[in-house]
Amino acid sequence: MKKHSVVGKSLTRVDGIAKATGRAKFTYDMELPNMLWGRILRSPYPHAKIINIDTSEAKKLPGVKAVITAKDIGPVRYGFVDTPRYPADQLVLATDKVRYIGEEVAAVAATSKDIADEALSLIKVEYEELPAVFDPEEAMQDGAPEIHDEIVPDRPCAWEDWGVARKARSYKAENNICAISQQGHGDIEKGFKESEYIREDKFYIPSTSHMAMEPHVALANWDPSFQKFDVWLTHMGYEVKRYWLARALDVPISRVRVRKAYVGGAFGGKIDPFSYEFLAAFLSRMTLRPVKISLTREEVFIACRLSHRFIINVKTGVKKDGTIMAQEIKAIDDPGAYRGSSPVVLFLTHGFRRPIYNIPNAKHEGIGVYTNKSICMPRRGHGSPQMSFSVESQLDQIAEDLGLDPAELRLKNFRKKGDVLPNGDTLHSCGLAEGIQKAMEVSGWKEKRGKGRDKNRGIGIGVAAMFNGAQYYPFGAAATMKLNPDGTFTLFCGAIEFGQGSDTAMSQIAAEELGVGLDDIILVSADSELCPIDHGNWLSGGIFVTGEAVRKAAVNVREQILDFASGWLEVKEDDLVLKDRKVYAKSDPEKAMTFAELMINSIQARNGDPILGKGFCKPVPEVEFYPSLSKGTGRWTNAYTFSIIIAEVEVDKETGKVKVLKLTSAEDCGYPINPLAVEGQVESQAVQGLGDALFEQIIIENGRIVNPTLTDYKIPGTLDIPEEINVNHIITNDPKGPFGAKEVGESSRSAAIAAIANAVYDATGLRIKELPLTPERVLQAFMDKKE
Amino acid sequence: MKKRIELTINGEHYEFNVEPWRTLVEVIREEAGLTGAKESCGTGECGNCLVILDGKPVNSCLVLAVDANGKDILTIEGVAEGEKLHPLQKAFVDHGAIQCGFCTPGMILAAKSFLEKNPKPTRMETKEAMEGVLCRCTGYVRILDAVLAASQEMMQENKTATKGGK
Ligand code: FES
Ligand code: FES
Repeated sequence: MKKHSVVGKSLTRVDGIAKATGRAKFTYDMELPNMLWGRILRSPYPHAKIINIDTSEAKKLPGVKAVITAKDIGPVRYGFVDTPRYPADQLVLATDKVRYIGEEVAAVAATSKDIADEALSLIKVEYEELPAVFDPEEAMQDGAPEIHDEIVPDRPCAWEDWGVARKARSYKAENNICAISQQGHGDIEKGFKESEYIREDKFYIPSTSHMAMEPHVALANWDPSFQKFDVWLTHMGYEVKRYWLARALDVPISRVRVRKAYVGGAFGGKIDPFSYEFLAAFLSRMTLRPVKISLTREEVFIACRLSHRFIINVKTGVKKDGTIMAQEIKAIDDPGAYRGSSPVVLFLTHGFRRPIYNIPNAKHEGIGVYTNKSICMPRRGHGSPQMSFSVESQLDQIAEDLGLDPAELRLKNFRKKGDVLPNGDTLHSCGLAEGIQKAMEVSGWKEKRGKGRDKNRGIGIGVAAMFNGAQYYPFGAAATMKLNPDGTFTLFCGAIEFGQGSDTAMSQIAAEELGVGLDDIILVSADSELCPIDHGNWLSGGIFVTGEAVRKAAVNVREQILDFASGWLEVKEDDLVLKDRKVYAKSDPEKAMTFAELMINSIQARNGDPILGKGFCKPVPEVEFYPSLSKGTGRWTNAYTFSIIIAEVEVDKETGKVKVLKLTSAEDCGYPINPLAVEGQVESQAVQGLGDALFEQIIIENGRIVNPTLTDYKIPGTLDIPEEINVNHIITNDPKGPFGAKEVGESSRSAAIAAIANAVYDATGLRIKELPLTPERVLQAFMDKKE
Repeated sequence: MKKRIELTINGEHYEFNVEPWRTLVEVIREEAGLTGAKESCGTGECGNCLVILDGKPVNSCLVLAVDANGKDILTIEGVAEGEKLHPLQKAFVDHGAIQCGFCTPGMILAAKSFLEKNPKPTRMETKEAMEGVLCRCTGYVRILDAVLAASQEMMQENKTATKGGK
């Protein structure tokens, strides 16, 4: 294989020094001259009618420049999902009623934060409380409180704007059902009939918080002279944000510019359009001044989305040797008072599991149900953590029941390279078998499994997979490049840096193709005005799709360089080499020109051509638009990443406390563009998964989140992490990815959760089917077992 | 109602008129314009706002600006010497201890004040000392690596400096 000089190297981050010195500007740090501070009034009730809102006193307060309620803007709807079947159901500001505690009711803009806060206290809202429902299984019953009336879209839905020619219709949630998905293949009944052992288990997974350290912020500046918004947002992709901003504020999309700032962590929690973003924009247009809305940590917990709450019933049939014959899943998702990403997560809980095991007969039913609670959206893995915990726990138990090694059982059922999934996706690369063997070997699986119970120690395994991008708006990514007069290159690409290292990886990819160093790439990223379209850094298409677009842009520039140089130097193209900002002939290195000379000469000889390149890529080039969310038919993605984690734990029988001693990972990301960054991504997820497995949960009582602080919602700290996290790269060189690379950002979190739960079983014999495995729950399980 | 206070931040003298309820992190960020200090929770739980106040690490969201009157403050902006990075900053960059970077200022300052007290710590001691600063991105592994590597580097530098002095 060709030797690489920039990719495949653990180079330090291009933004490292800026961040280490405190110079990097985050959205949260942005201020503009003459800026106002916005604050939001939120609902104190889980379900109530709004009778009246009186803003007169607030408006009189000196320093208050604007107060806004739904009356001023009308019922402006938005939603992560806005399809002909599922019209957007959220409102920028509540109109006739509120549906969860924390819902946006009014907002103010004032000359200081204090005045804005005082103004909120002067707004009088008269509510009439309505019966509320918090449990999804209750909410589905006849006679349960109806959370939504019929939603009648007043304009084409987003998907129609994006080219899907179907007619939008209204949506009436029967029995509060907001999403349904039914997927499957094979013959489920036959599959169970042919099974020799069948198990059915029910799992419960609570909401968690993304807890990115940078709270959610928006700064908007309406420029009346150009009729244009400049906005700085904590986000994960600008196209969707500006689509919704343009639509809600009724301006052309080209009149919304999303500017670059660093984003302090995202993990899925900054994808959704948010009311505070629209409000900053509305308030700026009302006042003709910049308006910044910074949310408090409590507001982030309550109103900036949570991970999906799930109840998952898994029924699996196997042969005695562990061959899986059939699997039937019934999942209930509780996305809260609005649909959030419910139809998507229901689809993905199925989609993310399909590439792992070859299950000939499968049925997957998912249902999303409105409740009067905070809204749920993707969090790192989007449904995979919940489903992986459930399915991987059960597979483990099946192995235990049949006296098989759980790792061997997995190995037996794994898919392999070349397999075609029921929807038509092909696994062009697949490191499952190699990965599990590596992880078993490195962790000492054979020696340790089943042998530590007397010492309260155990070892467990979890497996997960992830898409590498999928077809969602704007369905692809592009990059442009230009040659600079000093022989360096400027790369323009839309990817947003929120910690994952995209600025570095994109620069590495471009540098490699052009034979220059990382320093020779000047990067302009995440500015919607300067950069071409980008589908955003979610569903893990960053490297696979945007990275491939960047590579192609660089190839395009290289071709132009070769074309010009071969003529100028009178050398055949295939004899030319690009290296150190120079192009020269292999056969005669004297025949050479620097890139700087090349640019000047090209301009002179080719009517001003300065060498500009472009590249683009689509997640699934072969198909148009989307797969069906409700049926799961159609192509989903062009590559899958696989993560395997083996966890070792020790359980204190007195306290019920679980300590994770070691995590061993095998990660098939195709080819690591930057091994240091890949290891960082896996460690990040391993530790997040540890939190999910052992203590993270949003506790909601009567619709109120009772732990919206970091004291009560604990996330892992330095003392919680294992002694060792061992990351093993399984290099599979996917033929479709840039330099063989696939994603690495999302699947190991799921694998870690499942592995830890399974290790707890190995240590204790306790199969706990509800996350997280808190000391109380572990102790309770010990007691239940004794009885 | 506003009170006049004087602060020395990174060796420079500042005077501000602030309301008595203003926190130190707000004044550092909004009045002095030093946005390196981050506020993530505002309630003393995350350490992202950590600065060094008269030699001691404090969560500056819990300190009232008026109570810091007359005191000496070090923020992340004062850690490098001009363009020369502090060994901790360099180690954080080199070891991949930075992802989104939002926690980094608090982390580096916490580590700096810890290494001043304990120049040659064990990994466990480092974990204990850094417990108060939360990071959601890195999983801490590389942060601990960076702090320990920097401690080596700093001891090396000290030795050379002492030798050079003789
Ligand atoms: S912002 Fe001060 S401790 Fe979190
Ligand atoms: S690097 Fe993102 S919070 Fe630490």
